[in-house]
Formats: sequence, structure tokens, C-alpha cells
Amino acid sequence: MAHDWQPDFEQLVDAHQSMVFSLAARMTGDRGLAEEIAQDVFLELDRHLGRMESSPHVCFWLRRVTMSRSADALRRRRVRCTDLWIEIEEGHGVSGEEKESPLGARLEQMLATLPEPQRAALVLRYQEDLTPEEIAATLDAPLATVKSQLQRGLKLLRAKAQSQLREFVRVKG
Amino acid sequence: MEEFEREMRQALERRPAPPGLKRKVMAKRNRLHAERLRGRRVLWQRLAASVALAAAVCSVLTWREREEERKGEEARRQVMIALRITGHALNQMKTQLAGHGHANQDRTDGE
Repeated sequence: MAHDWQPDFEQLVDAHQSMVFSLAARMTGDRGLAEEIAQDVFLELDRHLGRMESSPHVCFWLRRVTMSRSADALRRRRVRCTDLWIEIEEGHGVSGEEKESPLGARLEQMLATLPEPQRAALVLRYQEDLTPEEIAATLDAPLATVKSQLQRGLKLLRAKAQSQLREFVRVKG
Repeated sequence: MEEFEREMRQALERRPAPPGLKRKVMAKRNRLHAERLRGRRVLWQRLAASVALAAAVCSVLTWREREEERKGEEARRQVMIALRITGHALNQMKTQLAGHGHANQDRTDGE
């Protein structure tokens, strides 16, 4: 039976902290806020631990709650993504690892300028490697909408990348 | 497009969580558990106090009801005694009046 599964909270935090933090950080563009969201999400998981049926269920639940909490946080702040990224660079900075990969950092910056639904779909697609069906289930959105958001988001990002990272693309080419 | 998607996957790899995240989560969780336990204890104490208060109120109400019943019964008993006494007095009066009536008739007959 699924309910016989006895999760250990500490192990769950260990296993999923990177995923939860990364999702929140990419959705909000603010490491400090992402850390707060991650803490809240794990504390909520602790309250709902008895209802968790399996490890994949926990993973699905964490993604769903993290995305929802991040969207709530963004709505509360009502700050444009571009401003958020100015803040991240000034207030929290980017890690050394991120500085080593300028393309990655630029792609993340460009991702942050996308509308929130497109950003959510792309983050789940490329960070979590989810299928459009899984993304639709996580975001509680129709599959067709998710597919369209993925397509439009990717197209928009590519266009931005082509104009902004022309130099990098040329070097890579 | 595939190349771009590959770049995206690389760029969007999971970031390591801040070093203190797990420690903070566990500390907050312990604090919340302690608060919840304290809250539950206070809740039980309040519940016990409420039950005791309700029992006391019920006892007082029951006592008052019984006291009123007892007083009512006592009053009824006293009324019955009073009625019995009155009845007895009236009977005595009736007997005396009847005695007087016979005496007067005998006197009238004698004359």
C-alpha cells in the first residue's frame, strides 16, 4: 500500500532542497526570497507528510507548491522581472559557478524577462526535464496552453538570445 | 533549435541550495513542533477548565432546581397542613354550631 511509505523529513529536505530552491530562485529571480519560499515549502511538506504516498508524489507536490508559492510571492511584490534581476545582481549577486558560465547567466537573465507562465513552463521543462503533460499537471493548466507557452517562450528566448548573444553564438559557431 | 534547447538544459541545471537551508528548515520545524505542542497543551488545559466550569455550572443549576423543587414540596406540604387544620377547625365549628342549634330547639320546645 502507498500509505505504508514512511518518509524521513530530513532526508527529503536533503534530497529536494536543490530542486525547490532552484525553482523558486528562477521563478522569483531573488535568492533571498527563494530561500524563504524553500523554507516555507518544506515546512508545509512537514505538515502534509502524512498524506504523502511515495517519493514521486513528494517530488510532484514539492514542484507544484514551489511554483504556486513563487507565483504568489511575485504577485505580492508586483515587481517587473527586469527589476528583479537588477536586484539580484546588486543585492544577492550570482555565485561563482554562475559567473563561470556567462551564457547560462545571460540565458537566466533573459528567462527572467519572459512572462511568468512562459517562464514557469520553461523552467519545469529544462530544469526539471518534465514532459508537457507533467508540466500541465504541475501547474494545473491545460496541456494545449502549456505547449503553446513552451513554444512561445522558447521562440522569444531564442530571438532574444540571437540579438543579445550574437557574439557568443559566433564564437560557439 | 535542438542546440538551443541543449544550451537551455545546461543553463538551467539545478543550483545548489544555500548551505544553511536545511539547518534553518530543521530549526524552524523544531520550533514549530514545540509551539504546536505548547499550543496543544494550552488547548487541553483550556478544554479541561471549560469542562470543569461547565460541570460546576451544571451542578449549581441542578442544585438550584432541586432546591426549588424541595421548597415547592415544602410549601405544598404546609398548604396541606394548613388546609387540614382549617378543615378540622371548620368541623369543630360545625359541631359546636350543631350543638347550639339542638340546645335552642330543646329550649323552644320546653317553652
